[in-house]
Amino acid sequence: MRHGYTLAYPQVLHKLYTGLSLLTGHPYSRILGETTMTTTKELWENALVELELSISKPNFNTWFKDTHIVRIEDGTISLGVPSQFARDWLSTKFHKDIVRSLRGLSDSVRAVEYVISRGPRRGAEEARVVPAAPSELPLESVHAKSNLNPRFTFSNLVVGPFNELAHAAAQAVIRRPGGAYNPLLVYGPTGLGKTHLVQAIGNHFRINAPERKVFYCTSEKFSMDYVSALQGGGEKIQHFKEKYRQYDLLIMDDVQFLAGREKIKEEFFHLFNFLHDSNKQLVFSCDQHPNVIQNLEDRIKSRFAGGMIISVTPPDHESRLAIVRSKAAMHNVIFPDEVLEYLASTIEGNVRELEGALNLLLIQLDARGESLTVNDARALLRSAGGANKKSISIPEVVKTVAHFYGIPEESIYEKTRRKEVVRPRQIIMFLLREDFKISFPTIGEKLGGRDHTTVIHSCDKIRGDVLNDSVLNQDLHQIRLMLK
Amino acid sequence: MKFETNIEQLRSASGISARFAERRANLPVLGSILIAAEGGRLVLRATNLECGVEISVPAKIGVEGVVAVPAPIFAGFLNSAHGKNISAVLEGGVLLLKTERAAASIKTIPHDDFPNLPRVSAERSFSIKAADLQRVLRSVVQCASTSTVKPELQSVLLFGDVGKLVAAATDSFRLAEKSVPRRGSSVVSPLLLPARNAAELLRLLEGVKGDVELYYNDNQLSAQLEDIYYTSRLIDGAFPNYQQIVPKTFATEAVVLREDFSSALKSLAIFSDKFLQVSLAVEPSKKALLLSARNPDVGEQTSTVVATIQGEAVALSFNNRYLADGLSSIVGESVRLYSNGPGKALLIKDAADESFFYLAMPMNR
Repeated sequence: MRHGYTLAYPQVLHKLYTGLSLLTGHPYSRILGETTMTTTKELWENALVELELSISKPNFNTWFKDTHIVRIEDGTISLGVPSQFARDWLSTKFHKDIVRSLRGLSDSVRAVEYVISRGPRRGAEEARVVPAAPSELPLESVHAKSNLNPRFTFSNLVVGPFNELAHAAAQAVIRRPGGAYNPLLVYGPTGLGKTHLVQAIGNHFRINAPERKVFYCTSEKFSMDYVSALQGGGEKIQHFKEKYRQYDLLIMDDVQFLAGREKIKEEFFHLFNFLHDSNKQLVFSCDQHPNVIQNLEDRIKSRFAGGMIISVTPPDHESRLAIVRSKAAMHNVIFPDEVLEYLASTIEGNVRELEGALNLLLIQLDARGESLTVNDARALLRSAGGANKKSISIPEVVKTVAHFYGIPEESIYEKTRRKEVVRPRQIIMFLLREDFKISFPTIGEKLGGRDHTTVIHSCDKIRGDVLNDSVLNQDLHQIRLMLK
Repeated sequence: MKFETNIEQLRSASGISARFAERRANLPVLGSILIAAEGGRLVLRATNLECGVEISVPAKIGVEGVVAVPAPIFAGFLNSAHGKNISAVLEGGVLLLKTERAAASIKTIPHDDFPNLPRVSAERSFSIKAADLQRVLRSVVQCASTSTVKPELQSVLLFGDVGKLVAAATDSFRLAEKSVPRRGSSVVSPLLLPARNAAELLRLLEGVKGDVELYYNDNQLSAQLEDIYYTSRLIDGAFPNYQQIVPKTFATEAVVLREDFSSALKSLAIFSDKFLQVSLAVEPSKKALLLSARNPDVGEQTSTVVATIQGEAVALSFNNRYLADGLSSIVGESVRLYSNGPGKALLIKDAADESFFYLAMPMNR
């Protein structure tokens, strides 16, 4: 419903949503964003649109702000209103209008009653969460002490299959600091949220155990500190050692940069031993498995191995979708689902690229002031070179896949139904359709004159198998890399 | 509409009403005072939909009627009006006011849209001395949070046990609780009164003598204070269960003279940095509290406050204002400070009075 809606009446919807956001106090995006619009919600929103026409704007904004339908029972609608003021006023002044507009939209409405309720915006659970009692002071300097960026928290970390192990390990570290996995080392290519994850551990500590000292630094910062301590001489070196040895949780990012710096490695080694021996938690991130880092001594490698080494991989499609969604929500903007879907499916791998592409759309949205469609997004990303899928010839795909499975290229075009050929052929069809958006009939024609229904079947088959077959998944990943 | 009344009384009534009118009203009528002339009195009403007030003023009514006038204009004119009496006539949408020396005409606002003030049934109510209610609110209201993130912290918690009324407020960095005696054994369920509305109630209570009767339901609290009817929205939420974070055992306990401590803090405030940081060291060996504040741009100051100390030495630093606020609610001569060391809240109490306590979190260093 919502898709057709968005596409069919963008202007009308835009106006409606702007109006709604003004009157309900929800940000525009928030309204757009509730993709699981329940029917009661839609009902009330439609009623509001009607009511707005018959009531003066100030009156409407004052009295219908923060109203919502709490429940519908036996034709009786319970309307949630923010205060007794509103209840008294709505029921005496606007009752007729409200009932009329609701009846106009739904025949089953028999009566309307008013209840005082704060509304879904400040969800009941949220309001009832008893906050931890006074625990911290709002001082910027506190954050400066830990060097953590408060933006990185677990609550805004998207957890998916690609990082769920790392996330679980982080949770274990939080529960039993110094005991569970010490050190915890998270490795993986750039832009996959390693820094976010390790900082989230630190932020969790900072908030929930303010008496514990947390420090986050990059290995670069550590090196710089050490060098300047060396330059300062005896007292400074002592100070440096004491500084790093005081922490209950030390987080060091990008430890691969330690490689090759002899003195710094040695200092790191001693620091590591000291903290580890006193059961202080250590958390590291690295861009590759420590064992494959050159110029890193075995004694350090083995110390990393003594804790938990865990990888984050590029996010899968669902996770990418969740990531763009949450990033968009952070900017208080919600794009139509198709746009997000498009982003998630075209930009693979790096989360940072995903963020970049999203930023591009955000700027465009700002400039235009109206919502973007998939085509807009496609055009934008293409012009910015974001989604640079190079055009590829069908024979090239065939060649790559055939080569990958070790079968002759010609066999793909032949009418054979041998198992070792059928599967690769299906994969080719799938790839041509999914990645290169070639039409079903064209694919059929080019692959030895097959019917387009055969192609559709093949694509569906692979799409289904991908979900359960991890070998197939890996194969696809490999092939896609080769095609790039 | 036509009436004549005492300037003094109308001035005070309009001054109070104007505070309750909405300043930047979406609905123009909410920025006005509704004046109803009927049955030998004027009734002034104003509300911002958060809280509202209705004040009656005795008057000689010539012709009955209702009118809404912009609050700042009406109150402003009366503020500087001289003489004893003021007369008013409504002529074609304009209210003509006349005093001994001045005459004014104020354009009125259509009043059809002026809301009724919610009435609260007398089912659940309690009565308390006005002075006690004032005391209990004043002791805690400054601790309420100003951030809108958590509405329950933006409010003052009120609840009644047998024979007492308790108020508490916290912004999660400090917390104050005060209890006052109350007749009657009814239990008052926890009420979350928005702090801003509580502050208005406090101002209304000034000068009120005798008892106040408060009525409440789940959403609204009302009070009749002599000629003034006051009503406020209540916040739907749960106040943090703060009792459990009040420490019961202490590593350090110090007793100081309130006046000494408070004047030391006042003077240290001059030297505080932008975080108003003041360091407090409890020194059993010196039998003193050592206080110091340092601002790199200004200089520094240390002061010593004589103290009776039990337990260990401890050094903490605080936001100066958080400590001063706590002391300002204490009336007794001496103050007890309880600490459990760095990172733990400092408990402040009146040495002779158990009805008040104040918790302040130290700064993380």
